[in-house]
Amino acid sequence: MAKDGEKSDWKEFLWNPRTREFLGRTASSWGLIFLFYLIFYTCLAGMFALTMYVMLQTLDEHRPTWQDRLSTPGLVIRPRADDTFEIVYTKEDTESWDLYAQTLDKFLQPYNDSLQAQKNHECAPDKYFIQEDSGEVKNNPKRSCQFNRTVLQSCSGIDDRYYGYREGQPCIIIKLNRVIGLLPGKDNQAPYVTCAAKKDDADKIGELIYFPPNGTINPMYFPYYGKKAQVNYSQPLVAVKFLNITHNEDVNIECKINAENIPVGGERDKFAGRVSFKLRINSKN
Amino acid sequence: MGDKDDRSPKKKKGATKDMDDLKKEVPITEHKMSVEEVCRKFQTDVVQGLTNAKAAEFLLRDGPNALTPPPTTPEWVKFCRQLFGGFSILLWTGAILCFLAYAIQAATEDEPAGDNLYLGIVLTAVVVITGCFSYFQEAKSSKIMESFKNMVPQQALVIREGEKVQINAEEVVAGDLIEVKGGDRIPADIRVTSAHGCKVDNSSLTGESEPQSRSPDCTHDNPLETRNVAFFSTNCVEGTARGIVICTGDRTVMGRIATLTSGLETGKTPIAREIEHFIHIITGVAVFLGVTFFILAIILGYTWLEAVIFLIGIIVANVPEGLLATVTVCLTLTAKRMAKKNCLVKNLEAVETLGSTSTICSDKTGTLTQNRMTVAHMWFDNQIHEADTTEDQSGAAFDKSSVTWLSLSRVAALCNRAQFKAGQDSVSILKRDVAGDASESALLKCIELSCGSVRMMRDKNKKVAEIPFNSTNKYQLSVHETEDPNDNRYLLVMKGAPERILDRCSTIMLQGKEQPMDEEMKEAFQNAYMELGGLGERVLGFCHVLLPEDQYPKGFAFDTDDVNFQTDNLCFVGLISMIDPPRAAVPDAVGKCRSAGIKVIMVTGDHPITAKAIAKGVGIISEGNETVEDIAARLNIPVSQVNPRDAKACVIHGSDLKDLSQDQMDDILRNHTEIVFARTSPQQKLIIVEGCQRLGAIVAVTGDGVNDSPALKKADIGVAMGISGSDVSKQAADMILLDDNFASIVTGVEEGRLIFDNLKKSIAYTLTSNIPEITPFLFFIIVNIPLPLGTITILCIDLGTDMVPAISLAYEAAESDIMKRQPRNPARDKLVNERLISIAYGQIGMIQALGGFFAYFVILAENGFLPSQLVGIRLNWDDRSLNDLEDSYGQQWTYEQRKIVEFTCHTAFFVSIVVVQWADLIICKTRRNSVFQQGMKNKILIFGLFEETALAAFLSYCPGMDVALRMYPLKPTWWFCAFPYSFLIFVYDEARKLILRRNPGGWVEKETYY
Repeated sequence: MAKDGEKSDWKEFLWNPRTREFLGRTASSWGLIFLFYLIFYTCLAGMFALTMYVMLQTLDEHRPTWQDRLSTPGLVIRPRADDTFEIVYTKEDTESWDLYAQTLDKFLQPYNDSLQAQKNHECAPDKYFIQEDSGEVKNNPKRSCQFNRTVLQSCSGIDDRYYGYREGQPCIIIKLNRVIGLLPGKDNQAPYVTCAAKKDDADKIGELIYFPPNGTINPMYFPYYGKKAQVNYSQPLVAVKFLNITHNEDVNIECKINAENIPVGGERDKFAGRVSFKLRINSKN
Repeated sequence: MGDKDDRSPKKKKGATKDMDDLKKEVPITEHKMSVEEVCRKFQTDVVQGLTNAKAAEFLLRDGPNALTPPPTTPEWVKFCRQLFGGFSILLWTGAILCFLAYAIQAATEDEPAGDNLYLGIVLTAVVVITGCFSYFQEAKSSKIMESFKNMVPQQALVIREGEKVQINAEEVVAGDLIEVKGGDRIPADIRVTSAHGCKVDNSSLTGESEPQSRSPDCTHDNPLETRNVAFFSTNCVEGTARGIVICTGDRTVMGRIATLTSGLETGKTPIAREIEHFIHIITGVAVFLGVTFFILAIILGYTWLEAVIFLIGIIVANVPEGLLATVTVCLTLTAKRMAKKNCLVKNLEAVETLGSTSTICSDKTGTLTQNRMTVAHMWFDNQIHEADTTEDQSGAAFDKSSVTWLSLSRVAALCNRAQFKAGQDSVSILKRDVAGDASESALLKCIELSCGSVRMMRDKNKKVAEIPFNSTNKYQLSVHETEDPNDNRYLLVMKGAPERILDRCSTIMLQGKEQPMDEEMKEAFQNAYMELGGLGERVLGFCHVLLPEDQYPKGFAFDTDDVNFQTDNLCFVGLISMIDPPRAAVPDAVGKCRSAGIKVIMVTGDHPITAKAIAKGVGIISEGNETVEDIAARLNIPVSQVNPRDAKACVIHGSDLKDLSQDQMDDILRNHTEIVFARTSPQQKLIIVEGCQRLGAIVAVTGDGVNDSPALKKADIGVAMGISGSDVSKQAADMILLDDNFASIVTGVEEGRLIFDNLKKSIAYTLTSNIPEITPFLFFIIVNIPLPLGTITILCIDLGTDMVPAISLAYEAAESDIMKRQPRNPARDKLVNERLISIAYGQIGMIQALGGFFAYFVILAENGFLPSQLVGIRLNWDDRSLNDLEDSYGQQWTYEQRKIVEFTCHTAFFVSIVVVQWADLIICKTRRNSVFQQGMKNKILIFGLFEETALAAFLSYCPGMDVALRMYPLKPTWWFCAFPYSFLIFVYDEARKLILRRNPGGWVEKETYY
C-alpha cells in the first residue's frame, strides 16, 4: 500500500493540480525565487567583475608581478618527440626520421637569414642588448637581435636537409626558455650549453660538436622584454651534433645550461636549467 | 509517513503474533486453585517440597530460572555499521576508484603518479578513523550501563525432600516449595501457601507505592492484584511466607515484561532520521553531479581514466567528510553537559530526542512524587490542618498548641510499631530509614518532627498490650501506662479505618475537652473524611480512652487474643491523612513543559483518585480544568449527559482502557490536553505510548519500575530513574535521571532543543564550503582551466580547518527562549531543509566560491597567466612533455614550474575558503538575530577562528609541506584576496536577517529561514 501512496505522492509533488504547484511551488513562487537568484547572481557577477578589474589594473603590462618561479629557466630540445623524451630512429628507414627533419625544418623557418635580416636588428655581440625606458616614456617597440639560421652551420639544415639523421649523426637543437628580464651569465661571461651522457652511457656518447661553437649563447639576446614590447624576439638556439654515437643502443643524455647566475633547478623539476632525453639510433649494418 | 509503516513490517508476522500475545494480560490461573490443586499440578508436596530427582528433571525441562539476556549486537557488527554507514559508502567508492585509477596508471604507464594512490589511502584512512571515532564514542556511552548491572548471584531457600536448602536462585524450578522472609528478593513467581505478616513491595511491577500483604487466600481474579501470588524479583519487606513456585525465568510475570521489552523494535531516534535524511540529500547531490560530469567528461572526449578521476574529485568535494564526526562530538559535548545536570544519556543520539519530544508520559510514583508516604492533613477540633509535605520542610506549619493535637500526636506515636533504624542521629528526620510500613513511618516522622523524640514518649508510656492491624478488624490498638507515675490508669490508643474508629467512639475531643459525639459532629466528621479522601489521601482515624482504674487496676492482664477489655465508647481524637506528595520541583517543571508545548500525560498503576489528586497537585490537570466527572458533579447531571468535548482533562481507568478501540483511544489522546491514566498494566502503558506515536507525537516515557520498561523501550526516548529505578527499566531506557527528579527532564528538553538548533548552524557552516570545493572541479572540466583546488586541499578544509569552528557552534547560546516555543514537527521541521541548502549552497557558498576563484585568478595573473588566456589552456597545461608553455607575457614555463603555480593557487584557494569561512562562522552563529545582538561570547568559537587561521598558515608556510601536501607559501597580499568577499558575506547575511526580523512571516523568512 505504501508504494501506491508514494507514487501518487510523487505525482502530486511533481504537479499538484489542486494548488497548481510544480515541484512544491506555485508559478509565482518559482518566478520570485528565480528573480531573486537572477538579481543575486547578477550582483555577484558585478562584484566579481569589479574585483577582477581592480586586480587587472594593478598588473604591469610588460612584466608580470612575480617571476620567482622562473628563476631557473627551462631547457627544451627540438625535435620534440611526442610525450616520451625519446629520439629513436633507424638510419636506413627514411620514414623513421623524416618526421624529425620536418619538425626541425618547421622550427627553424623563422630563423632564415632573409627573414631575420628583414625583421631584426644586427646587434653588437658579447654584451647585453639593453633598451631602457626613459622614465614614464616607454621605449617601445623594442628591437630584437638577429639569430641567423646559418649560425647553426651543419645543423642549420641548409647544407644537409636531413640534419645528419641520415648519416646517424643527428642534430638536436636546444633552447633556453624565455624569461622576461633574465640576464644569464655574469660580467658578460656568456652562458653555454653542455651535453653529456648519464653515468653508464659515458662511453657510448662519442664525440659532440656544438653550434654556435662551444654551445655559447651570446648575451646580446638578453634581456627579453616580453612579447608585447619585443614582438619579433628570436630566441637564441644551440645545436648539438652527435658525431659517432654508439648505434643500436639507448644513450641517455643530459644537457644543461652553464651560467653562474642561474641556480641549479630543483630535484623535482627535470627541465629547469637542464634537459634529458634518450637517443637511440638503430642501424642495420 | 513511510516510517510509520516500517514499524510493523509484514515479513515478521510470526514475531508480531508473539508480541501481541505478550501484550495480553498475564495468564496465571494458579491463584484461583486450591493449594492441593497447585501441588498436584506441579507434582510437589506442600510440606516436603519437590524431590531432588523431580527438581533436576524440571530444571532440565524448563531451563534455569533466569531471564534471557536481551540479544546484543556483536561488537564487530556495530563496528562495521560505523565503518560502512552514512557517507562512508560514498567515500569507500571514492577510495576504490582511486586505487582503480592508480592500478590502471600503474599498468599502462612506466612511472605512474602516486597522487591517486595517496588519495585512496587518505580517503580510506578518513573513513576508518571517523568510523573508529564514532564507534568508540558509542561504546563509551553504552559502557555506562555495565556499572548498573547487578553482579551478586541470588540465593533462595527451598525445601526439597523436606529439607531446607540454600540454593542458587537460578536452580529454582516450578513446583519448588520456597520460603521467603523480610528483606529477601522473591526468586520466582510463587503461589503463597502460608504467610506470617508477609508484605511485599510490588512497586516495580505495579507502581503501587505501598507494600502489599500476602496471604494464602485468593482475593482477586486478577493475578496481579490477588494476595496469594508473589512475583519474581519483587521484594519481601517484612514477615515470612512459604509458597510453591508456579513460574520461573522468562515465564514469570517479570520475565514476560522483560521479553516483551527486549522484543520491541524501536524506531530510529529523531536525530538519526534527520541525519539520514540529510545524508540522502548530500549523497543524492554527489551521485547526481558525479554521474552527470562523468558522462559529460566522456562526451567532451576525456579518457575513461580522466573521467574516473573527475568522479573521485566530485565525490570528495561533495561529501563533508568531517561532518559526521562533528555531529558526534557535538552530541557528546551535550551529553556531558547533561550528565553534569543529572541526565545520563545512554544512547548518544537520544541527546536530541528530548528536544523534539511533544508528549511526555510520566509515571507517578517516584518520578512526580517523592515515593514516600507523608502526613498531609489532619482533622481535629473540627478543622482541617495542613501539614508540611515539602522535602525540605519549607512549607507552612499548623497550629500545634491545641491540646487535641497533643492527644492526637500521642495516639499516633504510641499506636505505631514503626521505629527509626539505629545510628541515624545525624541524618535529618525525613531522610532517616524506618523499619515499618509506609503509613506508620509517615506518622512517626511527622510526630518526631513536630513533638520531638517519639522514643522518649514511648519509654514514658510503656506498652502493656497490643493488637496489630488486621484486615477484618481494620484497626490497631495498644494499651500503655500513663506518663504520670501517680496515675495508675491505663491508656488505650487505637487507630484504623475512620468509619470503624468512629463506630467505637461515643465522645469526641474538641479543644482538649471530651464532648459527646452528636449528629452534628458526625456529619462534620463525614465531610472531613470525604474531603481528605477526595484529595486522594489515605485517611486514618485516631481515638483513645483512659481505662477506669477500678475495672483495670495496675497489673491487669490484657488478653489480646480473647479481648477482655473495653474497645468501644472511646473518645475520638482526630483524623490524619497521608499521601505520597509531589516533589517540590515538579509543578514548576510541568509548567515549563506546558509552555514548551509539551503535553504531559500521567500513566500510573495507582488508584484514579490518588492519581488525579497528584495530577492536580503538580499541574498535569491544571487549575480550572475539569474532567467529565467533575462537570457532571458540578451540574448535578449523570456522566453520560456531559459532552466529552467540554472536558479538557480526563482520568481513564485501566479497566476502561481495555475496552477502548484504537479509534476511541486516538480520540481521547487527540481531544484531551490533560490526561491521567490510572490502574494501568505494563501492556497498557505500551498501548498508550503506541497511541501517541500513531498520532505523530514524539514520546518520552519516564518510569522506574519493571512495569514501565516496555513503554520505556517503545518510547522515542525512555527516561529511567537512577536511584529508585529497577535494572530492567534502566536497561530499557535511553536516558537515566540520576536524581530521579522530573525537573531534570526540563533541562534535557532545553539541551535537546539547543543542540538541534546548533547542529543546524554547524551543518549550515560545513555545507557552505562545499560549493567552493565543487565549483573548481566543474570549471576545470567545462572550461578547461588549470585546476583551482585539489582533492588534498579539499580534505584539508573538511577535516582540518572546518572542524573546530563547526564544533564550536555546539557551544552557541540559544537565540531566544527555546522553552517558549512549540516542539518541532518532525514531518516539517527538518534538520536540513531546502532553505538551509538554498542559503548554504545557493547564496553564501557562491560568494565563497567567487572569493576563491578571485584569489586563483590573482595568483595566475600575477605570475603571468592572465584570465583571458586560461580558458582552454588545460590540455597544454597538464601536458608533462610540454616544457615551454608560453604565458601572456611571452615567458616560457616548464611543466613543473607551472604546476608549482597551480599548487600555489590551490593553497590560495584554500586560504581564501578559510577567510570566507570566518564570515560564515560568524553569520552561522545566529539564524534570526544579528551578531550584534548575540554577541561574541562563545570563547570556543573565537578560538576556532584563530585555530583555523593558524592551521591554514601552518599548512602554507611549514617547510616540507610542498613535498607532503603540495602546498606552497603564499605572498602576504594573497591572503587578502578573499577579504572583500568575506565582508560581503557578513553584510549580506546581516541584511538578510534584518529584513527577516523586520518582516516576520515575509518572503525572506519563508525562503531563507532555516
